Amino acid sequence: MASQSGRKKKRDLNKTGYICVAPFVIIFLIFNVYPVLRTLYLSFTDYKGFGEAAFTGLQNYVRVITDKFFWRDLWNTVKIWSVNIVLQLGLAFLLTIIFSDIKYKVKGLGIYRALYYLPNLIAATSVAFLFKTLLDWRYGTVNQILSSAGLAKGEPINWLGSTVTAPFVISVIGAWMWFGNSFIMLMAGVQGISKDYFEAAAIDGAGRWKVFTKITLPLLKPIMLYVGITSLIGGLQMFDLPFLMCGGTIGNPSGSTQTVVMYLYKFGFETNQVGFASAIAYFLFMIILVVSAVQFKLLNSKKD
Amino acid sequence: MKKRILSLLLAGTMALSMASVAAAEDKGGKLVIWTLADDLKSFAEHYNEQNPDVEIETVVIAPADYLTKIQSAMRGKAKEPDIIVAEPQMLDTMYEAGYLEDLNQEPYNAQQYADNMVDYVWQAGQDADGIQRAISYQITPAAIFYRRDIAEKVFGTEDPEVIGEKFKDYDTVLETGQTLKDAGYKVFASDSEMQFFSGNSAWVQDGKLTIDDDRFAYMDLCVSLYQNDMTAYVASWSTPWYQAMGGAVPVIDSSANVWDEAEMEEAAESGNTTEVFAFGLPSWGVLTMRDHVGELAGKWGVCAGPSYGFSGGTFIGINALSENKELAWDFIEFVTTNEDTLDWWIEESEGDVVSWIPTIEKHKDDVNEIYGGQKLYEFFLEQAEGIDYSMVTKYDKTINDAWGAAITSIKTEEMTKEEALNVFYDTVQSTYPEIEIER
Repeated sequence: MASQSGRKKKRDLNKTGYICVAPFVIIFLIFNVYPVLRTLYLSFTDYKGFGEAAFTGLQNYVRVITDKFFWRDLWNTVKIWSVNIVLQLGLAFLLTIIFSDIKYKVKGLGIYRALYYLPNLIAATSVAFLFKTLLDWRYGTVNQILSSAGLAKGEPINWLGSTVTAPFVISVIGAWMWFGNSFIMLMAGVQGISKDYFEAAAIDGAGRWKVFTKITLPLLKPIMLYVGITSLIGGLQMFDLPFLMCGGTIGNPSGSTQTVVMYLYKFGFETNQVGFASAIAYFLFMIILVVSAVQFKLLNSKKD
Repeated sequence: MKKRILSLLLAGTMALSMASVAAAEDKGGKLVIWTLADDLKSFAEHYNEQNPDVEIETVVIAPADYLTKIQSAMRGKAKEPDIIVAEPQMLDTMYEAGYLEDLNQEPYNAQQYADNMVDYVWQAGQDADGIQRAISYQITPAAIFYRRDIAEKVFGTEDPEVIGEKFKDYDTVLETGQTLKDAGYKVFASDSEMQFFSGNSAWVQDGKLTIDDDRFAYMDLCVSLYQNDMTAYVASWSTPWYQAMGGAVPVIDSSANVWDEAEMEEAAESGNTTEVFAFGLPSWGVLTMRDHVGELAGKWGVCAGPSYGFSGGTFIGINALSENKELAWDFIEFVTTNEDTLDWWIEESEGDVVSWIPTIEKHKDDVNEIYGGQKLYEFFLEQAEGIDYSMVTKYDKTINDAWGAAITSIKTEEMTKEEALNVFYDTVQSTYPEIEIER
């Protein structure tokens, strides 16, 4: 008798549990699982965003793989992201070293952290407008400053008009926007490392560089992995800055700032080729999956 | 029980639909409008003054997001908005998708208004089968806006006919640019002022990409204007571009340092600073210029460009799924064909050009003092009559963007003409594999 009521109670508890998670599961199914599956289905059709969709098999995927602009744009994206991540992580690391050094004892970490994070809070539209104004070829403040400092004689630098400088500019602005975020992550990682290691190292007479390479860096690996992967995913999905600063999906000059997601947007929203855009999205998803897996493997591989 | 619920539901639905018919008759009810600019908001307020029982909700959505928003709503079979608007380049998609109500059928009978509407606007509102689905209250033919005072100094006349001759084709535009440069002026602020006139034939004909000689002439013109220092090197719609409408901008030729104050003052004294002579804009440019000319009011004139062209315009249609179609139609008639409304709009907008021919004719002797007392309605009607709407295709935006990108690559010497053209062909091919391309 007692065991029977106990079973009933257990069943009831299970039921309560299911009811509690139901709202999340339902929302997750509708807003996450359904769109993902629907996009997969659409990627095999010629859906235009309206009307009927006809099944076209792998045609969209073949078109993605054989379109040189997809590969050019992937290369553009990787180029912009690589420069961006080096600057962003470099700056974040430098600041982390300074702020975490027990000898410097920098005060007001909270204030600095907030200040560095600020650019992240400004809407990309405002950032794009601000930098477009600052970097204007003839009327921009940057060229004005360079010119008065005697650094740029003759023709002003056409920052957003040259295939060399335009992608670089996007990388730098991206780094400026996001280094605060990486800094917070790395700082949190450093603060999670026991002080005993640093004190022990100091007693053993380890130099600053040794401490950094032998203690801080190895123990920061999980955080670095996280920052690296999220940044890569964000980087490969880069859209707002180049879209707003370089003439929409065309990616001026000469398509040098057209990223993969701009390419996707052009088909999905400007030319009503939703089926093809879905295939691009899935292909990009697979690339991100593979690269993330490789990154995970590399950073997690144990050294003997 | 189930039967009772079903019959209640049916009765309820019937009552609701009857109520909506009644609402249209005595003009009550609610209209939801999704629009692209504040214009329709003013029209809605004006409509409300005369029909106080109608509640109107006007939502203004940026043009770049508009089509996406409508597509999302219509994919969800939304009954609202009741009124959908479109710019010309969005129309084809909307027709194809079946978003807009057939206005030729009862009770609308839109064709009764055909003879009173400017031709190209009327045609633009028709789908591939010639069924009227949208109507615009405005026409937007392109024109050259020029400085009368500079024209008088350089060409000895400010007559729009004579100045129009200075822009009659691309070669002449270049000569005009040179003459103005020699006189110390810039012909244009940006090098894309001729974009509304580029080309005299459709980009795609019978499934084939067609680049007529005018397109190449336009390309060469843009490159020459830029490379020969004939423009103020500003981008359209940027702050200095607007500034140039009101007088001098800090622009001198490439040899001088724009940022050195002393050098600039010196340049000003020796007469090297320049002012911009002309802008190429559609008729709504009358309003854009009005807001930026400042002390130069009265010193601007308007003349014809090298070809007929147009850009923009708000086309109004009814959501095919709307439950307030009659009320929506009443609003569309009020905005596009009601002469009192159009008279009010001409005054309210201070110069927008309507598409209703009787109203344009009525105002044809109106003069606009900002443009030296020119009779603009008459002029724009003439320009609109020359527009050939059959040149418009659904491919235009993408192909124009790619053509513009090619021009930019050539003028900044990032690519040779041949390289840029190849990228252009490749882009069109990649975007629309169905278009046949002969290189």
